Amino acid sequence: MALRRVLFVAFVWFVALAGLPARADTPDAALAKLIDEAKAAAVVPGACEQPGLDRLVRIFCDGRIRVGVREYYPLFGTREGQVRSGYDVDVAREIAKHLGVEPAFTRVNAASRIPLLADDKIDLTIATMGHNTQRDTQVRFIRPHYYRSETIIVGPKGLAIKDWPDVASRTICVTIGNGSNAQIVSHNARLMLFDEAGVLPDRLRDETCALVAQDDSFFDFYFTEPAFAQAYDRKFGFAQLPWGMAVALTGSDRLARALDLMSQIFHRDGVFLDVAKQNRIGLGFLELQRAVWNRSECNTDTGAANPACVLPALSAVLEPTRFAPQVAAFEAWLEKHTGIAVQLPMFKTMPAWQLFRAGIINSLILVAGALVATLLFALVLGALQSSRSFLLRWPARALTIVLQSSPVVLTLVISAAVALALFPYSSAVAIGAAIVALGLMNGANAGQAIGEAMHTLRTERGGPPVPTVDLFGRAVSRSATQIVSFLVNAAKGTPIASFIGAPELLSALTDITSFASGRASTYSLLLVFYVCVVIVVVWLCDRLRIWLERRQMVTA
Amino acid sequence: MSRISPDFVPQLLAGMVVNFEIAAIALLIGLAVGGLLTLAKLAGGVRGAVATTLIGLMRAAPTFVVMFFLLNIIPSDATLFGVHVAPSGIMTVALSLVPYAAAYVADNGSEALRQLRDGSPLGALLFLPNVTRAFFVLVMSSSAGAAIGVPEGIAVILREAELMPTLGDKMVLFAIGILCFGVTLQAGFALMRLLQRHLGRLALRAR
Repeated sequence: MALRRVLFVAFVWFVALAGLPARADTPDAALAKLIDEAKAAAVVPGACEQPGLDRLVRIFCDGRIRVGVREYYPLFGTREGQVRSGYDVDVAREIAKHLGVEPAFTRVNAASRIPLLADDKIDLTIATMGHNTQRDTQVRFIRPHYYRSETIIVGPKGLAIKDWPDVASRTICVTIGNGSNAQIVSHNARLMLFDEAGVLPDRLRDETCALVAQDDSFFDFYFTEPAFAQAYDRKFGFAQLPWGMAVALTGSDRLARALDLMSQIFHRDGVFLDVAKQNRIGLGFLELQRAVWNRSECNTDTGAANPACVLPALSAVLEPTRFAPQVAAFEAWLEKHTGIAVQLPMFKTMPAWQLFRAGIINSLILVAGALVATLLFALVLGALQSSRSFLLRWPARALTIVLQSSPVVLTLVISAAVALALFPYSSAVAIGAAIVALGLMNGANAGQAIGEAMHTLRTERGGPPVPTVDLFGRAVSRSATQIVSFLVNAAKGTPIASFIGAPELLSALTDITSFASGRASTYSLLLVFYVCVVIVVVWLCDRLRIWLERRQMVTA
Repeated sequence: MSRISPDFVPQLLAGMVVNFEIAAIALLIGLAVGGLLTLAKLAGGVRGAVATTLIGLMRAAPTFVVMFFLLNIIPSDATLFGVHVAPSGIMTVALSLVPYAAAYVADNGSEALRQLRDGSPLGALLFLPNVTRAFFVLVMSSSAGAAIGVPEGIAVILREAELMPTLGDKMVLFAIGILCFGVTLQAGFALMRLLQRHLGRLALRAR
């Protein structure tokens, strides 16, 4: 009898032990328990007036959940009069429905969606917010992520762009501060910067931009327009970024846990997918997530903490330089003592510092190369134009006229096009093409001056003597002022090499400002750098001119 | 050879009008700023020293860098006394050419005033062909606007070239561009030479 009773008790415990984990393991059971506890806490008399109340309990106290959503983000959060629509808005409605409360919407934008949470003006933000490690210190992100965007390259259908090698040396229009800009830069594409994403489709239409890069979620709306979809297509995507709903870091533990579980369930049961279909946004990520959250190891109450199931946050922290603290201290000191807020992003992070350093070195190489090339082409074309042979003289003159007739940008582009037909794209090829173009343009003019000086020397001698090295040397000395003027012009023209992708300082700083702040101080520094370089070149060229003129006086 | 878009030539001509527009704005502002700098320079003293330094700096400032400087330093929503003052793309390119134009005007203006003081009004009038030369240099330099999306002539050519599959096709387009700009430039220089000759004849008659 005693044995039977012991066996019975043991059986009951076994059943209980076997049954309990099964119930606690499912996200549904864990969520139901959490909601029940919060509802119970909310109905305790006086509980709702207590300070420090968890937001989940307060939501049941108020019978509403305050959600921050966007109002001008097509397909995700828009408002016409009192009617709100979009994927984010509908996800908020599903959450409110699951909790059995009403959603109360507040307008947020990229700048306000985090501060409004911290100020307890909203309980939850669902506002197209990418989850990166930097934001992890500001808000608590809900896992699993409710959507994922990626940056896509969009351009005219006729343009054959399939992958990164096809964009090298091309210009891509982007918005300042977009996290994926650094990746575009690393593939040798040039950036044209814009403040607002909203202008990008217009710049495609008016053909200012041949290619633009922006979130696929942004272009989802435009691809619903037949005219846009007919003219443009998505070339390829990169820089996937998970989007997270977020709650405040403090006082939201239970709410965050409930939303984690709810997000799991919504993925598993296809709720997110259905809402996405209704709003005509991309489904790829949600279909993948549905499969993930139906897997047995993920469909548990601890699935949201399982690294095999959830996606990591994007690492947005750039490695700082050794001297970043000193630079920050200098910025603070300058602001305190002068009131001028200078930002020097090029000295603070390693990627920016490396770009800046390479930019300065490449600029100096470019200036030196352009000066040497100008001098060389001037002497060669000057000699050809001084020749007595018609066959040498006229082609040189024709080339000079063509080069004089071509705007500098066009000559650079032609030089780059020829270089790229001969060699695969690289920074060295771009710099080389720029040196040749600048040398030819300025050298042709200086060469013409040498030719004209030779002509005057011959006239002074009363006839056309055979050109000799001595006479040519005197012609060079006589045209010293012109040569110097075109050497200075070549040095001044070097920044335009950035147009064909030469990674000189202007190009490097444009890249740095595309992912860092401090545009005003960065471009001021750029201007000072180039003015100083040109002043040094002017000084050196003046020395050269004086030497040439003295030489002329000695030989006269 | 791929087919060039039928709109290409009209668009190129419209783009070249933008080049002329930019050059005209830059020259007008350059004349005003350069004129003031000339007067300050000739006045001597501290004002003269400041003007000389400013002219030197303007001469040394690369146009392309000045353009990016202006583009990035003036906020797109900048206002002055409630008036929106952020320059358009065309205006940004024009303003970036002003340092060159002003320095050129100041240099040539000083020389013209010196000629005038020396009793040679016709020598001073040589300022006119020199300004004409500067105008055509500005037209060619305004092609830098292509880098910031200004729809000028070179931007039109480059846009069309993007759609050309081979280097040969692109070269044909580039040749059309050189021809259009070249004819304009050579016509400008011919005009300048005519003006110089006319002034020369006037000078001879005056003697």
